[in-house]
Amino acid sequence: MNSIILLTSFGILNLFVGFRKSNKLILPLVFLFLLIVLAVNFYDWGNTTTYFERMLTIDNYAVAFTGVVVLTTILLIPFAKRYVDEKNESLAEFFSILLFSLVGAIMMVAYENLIMLFVGIEILSISMYVLAGSDKKNLRSNEAGLKYFLMGSFATGILLFGIVLIYGATGAFQITEISAAATAGSGDALTSPLLAMGLLFTLIGISFKVSAAPFHFWTPDVYEGTPTLFTAFMSTVVKTAGFAGFYKLMSVSFAGAYDIWFPTLVAMTVITLGIGNIGAAAQNSFKRMMAYSSISHAGYLMIALLAFNDRSENAIFFYSLAYSVATIAAFGILKLVSDQRDDISYNAFNGLGRTNPLLAAVMTIAMCSLAGIPLTGGFFGKLFIFSAALEQNLLWLIIVAILMSMVGIYYYFRVVIAMYMREPSGERVVVGSSASFALIFMAILTIVMGVLPGLMSNLL
Amino acid sequence: MTGNLFYFLTFLTLFAALGVVFSKNPVYSVLCLILTFFTLSGHYILLNAQFVAAVNIIVYAGAIMVLFLFVIMFLNLNQETEETQHKSTLMKVAGVISGGLLLVIMIAVLKDAELGAVDTANFNSQIGLVENLGQLLFTKYLLPFELVSVLFLSAMVGAVMLGKKETQQRHF
Repeated sequence: MNSIILLTSFGILNLFVGFRKSNKLILPLVFLFLLIVLAVNFYDWGNTTTYFERMLTIDNYAVAFTGVVVLTTILLIPFAKRYVDEKNESLAEFFSILLFSLVGAIMMVAYENLIMLFVGIEILSISMYVLAGSDKKNLRSNEAGLKYFLMGSFATGILLFGIVLIYGATGAFQITEISAAATAGSGDALTSPLLAMGLLFTLIGISFKVSAAPFHFWTPDVYEGTPTLFTAFMSTVVKTAGFAGFYKLMSVSFAGAYDIWFPTLVAMTVITLGIGNIGAAAQNSFKRMMAYSSISHAGYLMIALLAFNDRSENAIFFYSLAYSVATIAAFGILKLVSDQRDDISYNAFNGLGRTNPLLAAVMTIAMCSLAGIPLTGGFFGKLFIFSAALEQNLLWLIIVAILMSMVGIYYYFRVVIAMYMREPSGERVVVGSSASFALIFMAILTIVMGVLPGLMSNLL
Repeated sequence: MTGNLFYFLTFLTLFAALGVVFSKNPVYSVLCLILTFFTLSGHYILLNAQFVAAVNIIVYAGAIMVLFLFVIMFLNLNQETEETQHKSTLMKVAGVISGGLLLVIMIAVLKDAELGAVDTANFNSQIGLVENLGQLLFTKYLLPFELVSVLFLSAMVGAVMLGKKETQQRHF
């Protein structure tokens, strides 16, 4: 709750800072704001408080996921430096919208009422529609903004319809009351067909937001057209908050109906893993590959959801942290490289190992983490998810996922090969000191998570 | 009386909604949509929810529909621009099948759906009035109500940002 109030006021304050002619102050200020929010957020660690007629619960689950999304945003700031150099007039607005969208993300991880979930998703989505189209002179960005907006509003409509049907069946928006109403009666959950229909529509709406197949079709185009900085935000914060909210809804409200939603979700998981990984392998553009890779990571996170036991929360937390850090590093390097070389394909990275050893090394670590190579955070993320799934006897699903992550190694290592085994395609990429610092931090964090996973694996 | 009114309004709603889908001219579609919104507001009044009815007319029939009409006329879409011939037959068949499946499922669900019986003795007929709604909004649902302002703020900032003239932009 404190973080929500702080983020909102900081967002408004930041708009006023934007009135100044020079925008040099904005990045340090936003950095400071987010550090304060992060500190205040962890102050709530260990206490469970409910606010306003049980609309919002701040517990360890909410604090942990809020920490992930705020940290991700902090790590993103140094890569916005080019906007300062170019004297972009909308810089303050960009960051105010990011701060506001974090409010939505927090609502999605801490909600206790479906209305809060809906408002949270909307805050996050509307901010993303705007940021997707924020590069006004770029046709691709316009396309991304419009596409995301049209399809996203459609998905929102379906989600809302689902919530209303759930209300019609149970008479409650409160997630605990829904569970009580759903399991009451004959002991068989989901006795009411209305509830099943509502659950299905809610599933569709949330799956769209986290880009799980078959509701992923917007992802490649939107991610490719969106300015890289905001693509990074979209593929990390939205996904983390989306899955945290998704898991909370399923585990609190529909735990009794596991047998009913399991077949649907398991089919979706297999399709998501397949489309994400095989689609990514077919791409020539690095950014598009990352879009498909984000679909495939949604698939892995869905396995944790399907495992549905006491390990799932920790697995989702650890995986989304490892995924977010590695993705921000990859997109950050892509932004630095593509700003200079004006290319988002694999060729942009040719010979980076020779011209910029630091960027190449961090990129390699990030790719290893995304591919799930040992000694990186991504390996343990996958390990925790698979071991949670093993407890639920989902061995065949794990085998599918491992096969798919082998495909993943192919496309993640294409960029490593380009960096180390090709002739340089351009000059040395200029990297600011804050960006290198952030990249080193992310590389260290990824390796620490891969060497000492116990530090974070049992938090929840 | 109200029963007949209900059926009349429902007939009109469905008729207008079908008109939205089937009319070839986008302007007629929009006009049908306005009729749909008005008849829906009629339904709200039958349910004794005057506030929702008024808001529905002001927001949807007033603001959003004017925007629709404006955009359609602005983009000169009112002549028939049939895009359908670009779609392959396979796409059309797939669309019809999946839409039909959804319809079948919905019909099956609604056939079996049992809504809780209304307790007519203790039913508060004033529940949809603006006073009750306001009380609920400012007590039980205060937090979402206030947080929606963040949503609007973020949408407003975004709209201004996207609509703002850039210094080096050409002025048409």
